[in-house]
Amino acid sequence: MKDNVLLSVKNLSVKFKTLDGMNTIIEGNSFDVKKGEVLCMVGESGCGKSLTSLAIMGLIEKPGIAKADEIMLDGEDISGYSEEALRKLRGNKMSMIFQEPLTSLNPLFTIGNQMDEVFRLHRKMDRAECRKNSIEMLRFVGIPAPESVYKRYPVALSGGMRQRVMIAMALSCRPKLLIADEPTTALDVTIQRQILNLMQSLRKELDTSIILITHDLSVVAEMADRVIVMYAGQIVEQADVRDLFKKPLHPYTEGLINSTIRLGEKCERLKTIPGTVPNNENMPKGCRFHPRCPFATDRCRNEQPQLINVEGREVRCFRYEGSEN
Amino acid sequence: MARYLAKRILQIIPVLLILTFIIFCLVYVAGDPVALMLPPEAGTEARESLRAALGLDKPFHEQFIIYITNLLHGDFGTSYEYNQDALQLVLERLPYSAQLAAVAFVASVILGVVLGIASAQYKDTPFDLLVSALSALGQAMPGFWVAIMLILLFSVNMKVLPVSGAGGFEHIILPATTLTIMTAAKIVPLIRSNMIEVMHQDYIRTAKSKGLKNSAIVFKHAFKNVLVPVITIVAMQIPTLMGGALITETIFAWPGLGMLIYRGVANLDMSVVQAGVLMVAFITILANLISDIAYCLIDPSIRY
Repeated sequence: MKDNVLLSVKNLSVKFKTLDGMNTIIEGNSFDVKKGEVLCMVGESGCGKSLTSLAIMGLIEKPGIAKADEIMLDGEDISGYSEEALRKLRGNKMSMIFQEPLTSLNPLFTIGNQMDEVFRLHRKMDRAECRKNSIEMLRFVGIPAPESVYKRYPVALSGGMRQRVMIAMALSCRPKLLIADEPTTALDVTIQRQILNLMQSLRKELDTSIILITHDLSVVAEMADRVIVMYAGQIVEQADVRDLFKKPLHPYTEGLINSTIRLGEKCERLKTIPGTVPNNENMPKGCRFHPRCPFATDRCRNEQPQLINVEGREVRCFRYEGSEN
Repeated sequence: MARYLAKRILQIIPVLLILTFIIFCLVYVAGDPVALMLPPEAGTEARESLRAALGLDKPFHEQFIIYITNLLHGDFGTSYEYNQDALQLVLERLPYSAQLAAVAFVASVILGVVLGIASAQYKDTPFDLLVSALSALGQAMPGFWVAIMLILLFSVNMKVLPVSGAGGFEHIILPATTLTIMTAAKIVPLIRSNMIEVMHQDYIRTAKSKGLKNSAIVFKHAFKNVLVPVITIVAMQIPTLMGGALITETIFAWPGLGMLIYRGVANLDMSVVQAGVLMVAFITILANLISDIAYCLIDPSIRY
């Protein structure tokens, strides 16, 4: 493993046990997260972004099963860790914030109570220390009057405030890895901006690597160092953010970028990618994207393409065979 | 909080008034107590004079006003059967009912919460299926049948527990068991389904992502949320156990409120029925108030 890599995932799959047998949602995904970088995962709903992140945290619930050859986090392979061992890492070395700030905090406990838990659990602090550190964290994420917010219940806070609390809670133990699962989707645009800015500045201050899951390409453009594009449970492209926007390789990535509106561009009708994401029970044979792909050939219909290296990036498409390096 | 409480307590007054009216109406149409009090050969004149003495010849609204006025003076009427003040009778029987209800309620809540949480945790395992089957069975079995089976097993065959009556602790075991089976069977599936629902909430996922132990997640984060929908239904078991245990109390000859009301109905002893039912209604209102206060303490959004 290279020195600058914080997280290295090898061959991660997530399957669900159903009445008809095993249903594979995520298949053989491998990727690295470098120290201090923001890695964005993009893709349509249901393409497996959230499941990938939950699998890293070890939070896939039955009937789901996550398997990986290796999940190296900061030098230790956590793929075979017991629940107890993973528990000690969660909220400590790696933590997560979620899409729904309104429902992600327990409505029946005060903010302080929920913040204190992390310090008590991972840092074995006493009540006074917990309180001091929690209030410090609330202040750190830009919450005004943290002493009074500490005593409040979630119901008294706005969505943006609650997401700040979630971020404060997730960063309490200075995690090496923060997974943010669509942290701004449920928020107003202005609040979105504030939360993204906050995450950027906190990352610099704490040197935390961030996996940011989103389906919003403007968020990607603003936040990402590198981007993973997922489609139907597979990584279809992986590239630096500039390269990706400048020259998307995979037809799906291209479709995604084309379906956004650019300022100043004359646009009669919004471009879309025809078709819908395939259902898991009936994945198309060959390339999973071929039914929606304008370049599909007979080979695409019958054979699964592998991820190949092209110009220092990865893409899962036959069109780039021969230009590998 | 204090204002809310004051409001809730004031609300009790009209509820009690309406209840009194309904109970009075029901008793009014139930039958003529004079027919029961006098021997069949008594003449019309004797009947009329007794009616007049009891105030039963007056029009309906006048009778009601007299009834309410008497109630406010603490006069609940006299039992024809026991020849004793009706309220006195009810108050004498109340401790017995309270004792039985307390034992059954505590046992049901403990059993219901423990089995409900456990079967939600081990959802779809053989243990969960067994608990679900048992609670369905518990709800399906009629109370009187359970009571008779328990008597047959423990009193008649094994001869370890008394058949009926009140006395030492051994007397309370069988009636309390009967009531516990019926009540716990209601609480278990309630806790189980609410627990399963709560465990899928986002804040539980947050708690897991913080690295909390499963026990902390279940007993702290989930359980308090389970209480919110469950608390009223559980609190409402109190009046059911206190006054609604008519059949169980009667079978075990337990001298409680239920048996008193049952005998009152059987003998058309209306003052006793009225006083007894009013007491049960009052307990119901009280239980309701307690559950509302408990809500207030648990859920901050109600306070806001």
